[in-house]
Amino acid sequence: MKNIRWGTLVAYIILAIFAIITIFPFVYMILGGLMTFQETTTIPPTLIPKHFQWGNFSKVFAQAPFARYFLNTFITASVTTIVSLFNALLGAFAMVNLRFKGKGVVQALLLSLLMVPGEAIIFTNYNTIARLGLLNTYVGLVLPFLTSVFYMYYLQSYFGSISPTIYKAAKINGASDWEYIWRILVPMSKGGLFTVGLLSFISGWNSFLWPLLVTNEDSMRLLNNGLTAFASDAGSETELQLAAATLTVLPILILYFIFRKQIIRGVVRNDLKG
Amino acid sequence: MKTNQKKAWIFLAPTLLFVTFFSIWPIIRAFIMSFQSGSLINLSWSGFSNYQYIFKDPEFWLAIKNTILYALISVPVALAISIMLAWLIFSKIKNKGLFETTFFMPYVTSTIAIGIVFRYIFNGEYGMLNFILRFLHLPAPNWIDDPAMSLTTIIIFGIWTSLAFNIVILMGALRNIDPNYYTIADMYGASGTEKFWRITMPQLVPTIAFLLTMNIIAAFKVYTSVYALFNGQAGVGNSATTAVFYIYNKFQIVGTPGVAMAATVILFIIIMFVTFLQRKMMKKIGGH
Amino acid sequence: MNDEKFVEVKNLQKVYDNGHEAIKNVSFSVKKGDLVCLLGPSGCGKTTILNMLAGLLNPTGGDILFDGKSVVNTESKNRQIGYVFQNYALYPHMTVLQNVMFPLTVGKQKMAKDKAKAIAEKYMDLTQITEFAEQKPGQLSGGQQQRVAIARALVQQPKILLMDEPLSNLDARLRLNIREEIRSLVKEVGITTLFVTHDQEEALSIGDKIILFNGGVIQQDDLGQNFYLEPNNYFVANFVGNPVIDNFNIKVKGGKITASDFELNVSDLDQSRFKRELTDGDYILSVRPENILPAEEGHVSAHIEDIELIGRERILKFSHDGVQARSLVNLETPIKPGDDVKLKMRLNRVFIFTPEGERVY
Repeated sequence: MKNIRWGTLVAYIILAIFAIITIFPFVYMILGGLMTFQETTTIPPTLIPKHFQWGNFSKVFAQAPFARYFLNTFITASVTTIVSLFNALLGAFAMVNLRFKGKGVVQALLLSLLMVPGEAIIFTNYNTIARLGLLNTYVGLVLPFLTSVFYMYYLQSYFGSISPTIYKAAKINGASDWEYIWRILVPMSKGGLFTVGLLSFISGWNSFLWPLLVTNEDSMRLLNNGLTAFASDAGSETELQLAAATLTVLPILILYFIFRKQIIRGVVRNDLKG
Repeated sequence: MKTNQKKAWIFLAPTLLFVTFFSIWPIIRAFIMSFQSGSLINLSWSGFSNYQYIFKDPEFWLAIKNTILYALISVPVALAISIMLAWLIFSKIKNKGLFETTFFMPYVTSTIAIGIVFRYIFNGEYGMLNFILRFLHLPAPNWIDDPAMSLTTIIIFGIWTSLAFNIVILMGALRNIDPNYYTIADMYGASGTEKFWRITMPQLVPTIAFLLTMNIIAAFKVYTSVYALFNGQAGVGNSATTAVFYIYNKFQIVGTPGVAMAATVILFIIIMFVTFLQRKMMKKIGGH
Repeated sequence: MNDEKFVEVKNLQKVYDNGHEAIKNVSFSVKKGDLVCLLGPSGCGKTTILNMLAGLLNPTGGDILFDGKSVVNTESKNRQIGYVFQNYALYPHMTVLQNVMFPLTVGKQKMAKDKAKAIAEKYMDLTQITEFAEQKPGQLSGGQQQRVAIARALVQQPKILLMDEPLSNLDARLRLNIREEIRSLVKEVGITTLFVTHDQEEALSIGDKIILFNGGVIQQDDLGQNFYLEPNNYFVANFVGNPVIDNFNIKVKGGKITASDFELNVSDLDQSRFKRELTDGDYILSVRPENILPAEEGHVSAHIEDIELIGRERILKFSHDGVQARSLVNLETPIKPGDDVKLKMRLNRVFIFTPEGERVY
């Protein structure tokens, strides 16, 4: 009995240390964003600010168009999510429920595209967008991401777990494919679609390299690019950098805490199959 | 069912259209451009000169060396820590969800934002990390501004960020192990360590192999965390440059897209090779 | 118009893309208002035929006619059929009422909600599921889900009802009740029904006629009792009947039938039952357990190894030529395991098959 107790205690200590290492940057980011400049640079470091400097946030908004960044990020992440989900939905439906010649070829093609690293094609995509004259536009920001082979593959495995007789029944009941998709497939797969949507929105929110390439006007920047630009401009004003970082991370963290179960389950599900 | 044929292609049309323009074409295009020189608007054929250039470029070799070092150190260390943490949560903790939620946080947060926080924590003078190290009478190096330290700093940050995904996937795999195995082992009086090495580890092998490849591929693409830690630079004096950094630099800053694409093709081949190795490895594991 | 051949299948063939020949030249017809069972072991092609009738699969040859008109090029939804799936295929996110209404609210001829609801309620009343109208299928028992599936299949007032093993997901007792219900329901509605099952008892109890399949071929298309009394071939004789038929290897030579431990004269048999002449050679003599009974003087001497009680009867089990055989006796017969008895066959009830399975007697 004693041995087990000791083991559990050691386990708790190790887990606690790593949990602190994991959480600490987040806590420190939020607290640091509320400190005065002096507090951020004292030795020994300040952990909890004497007075919460809420004014840091208004300074951030005054020094850089963060509201605009928010709007841009929200628009691009939402549009990417909705359109790519829609395309993935239609494609996955066709792959799961319809029989057609060339299905095997399409499946093989999509599977091999899954392995292509995004970084290998992002620069040539930049070239395409530049030629189309779409730099510094919302269209340019979202266009290459309006289809996700990855999410389509995920939905395929989700739809594949629905009994094929459901589709047959709908056909016999007189439903068209379009009616089947919207009245049966979508309501039955709400959970999966929602998870995919969340993951897509989060990765859209956190995107960095692509918007860095295709935008150079301040008014078209996304949060992460705005944040790096601000970090260089604000230079030594650590407390403002941290306040800006807090602004970037907090919306996603809130989303995460509300839907943590769906998000974690979704990640486990799709990656083990990939 | 001829109608079915046409319908299927209509449903697949948006996906196939976008995929053709933004996935397939860019691969072909990258390959073509790797044999061309000049600026984006004025490209001309130049044979293998781009490849010759990068193989002679010490900066390219530094980038590859850094990337490989980063992958070879951060991936196994992160994986080992992840396995330990996942196993501890799984075997000792009742409230597994709480720890899972905590450890997964870095996965959903912006690397850029959290990189700024780490830059602050790593600060040589007033950073929290060095404060703790000095308190423990340990050497307190200049994590950010010392070129000799920059790769180490990136590796530490890389480990911190990759724990999240590993732990959650490993937890999923641990939950999938038939609990009867443990019940039987208990009946025969197996100890905790015996259960871990004789039951858990063999069952986790496919998952670990999967994570290993995913992590290595991700490590080869490391860029954002470097950018965030060093404020847009690849460390002091480019000391921490990586493959993607090199490509970005040649493409966007120096304006030699051909060279960038030659480096891309090399990176692409390396990643394909790792994926191929993983397939082989998985088949071998699945085979027996 | 075509009441005798309301459903007609002509030379139907199905070869799958992988080359598997599931259906080989099958023809049959169904009378209007009849309930016909498609019976056979799993993989015999019966569900394939049902799917082709429903338009879920395309035949690779032959024709299907409903009421005299070919439907092979008609889409499922225009074939005027109802289909009950083995797993019911109810839409889990809809209530029972929404499930039953669904066929009326989709497609080109969709109707107003209140009108659809009125019709749906009529069929829910008929299938006695009105009280579950607002529940989801997941909250219902298997038998109740079954009724919802039938109501949904009937709500469009189809001309033909296709049922694919609708009872196989239910427990044994419920199955007995529901099959009676299904029979009386389809008779009340008067709809022509094709019912796929692998359970011979089920087929015998509810089918107006039975079509038995094996290996993608019709083995027998007949009234239920004829599968017992006049099986077409060795497969039918062995597939139908519980307990299964006893088979003895025999040799015929010069008007004598010889088995390992008994002998008969061909002249002892009922000459009117011969399908063709019994030439010399090897054959199989088959006799149903109820037609081989203990007697003072019998054909077969049997050492009773085991006795199994089934309801009001007992099965005496014995070995013959190393193969298990059975005799079905009533409960009072005073025989114990280990007894040696003589068993006498009712010779006008035995069958003789060639080794290839063709029936000779």
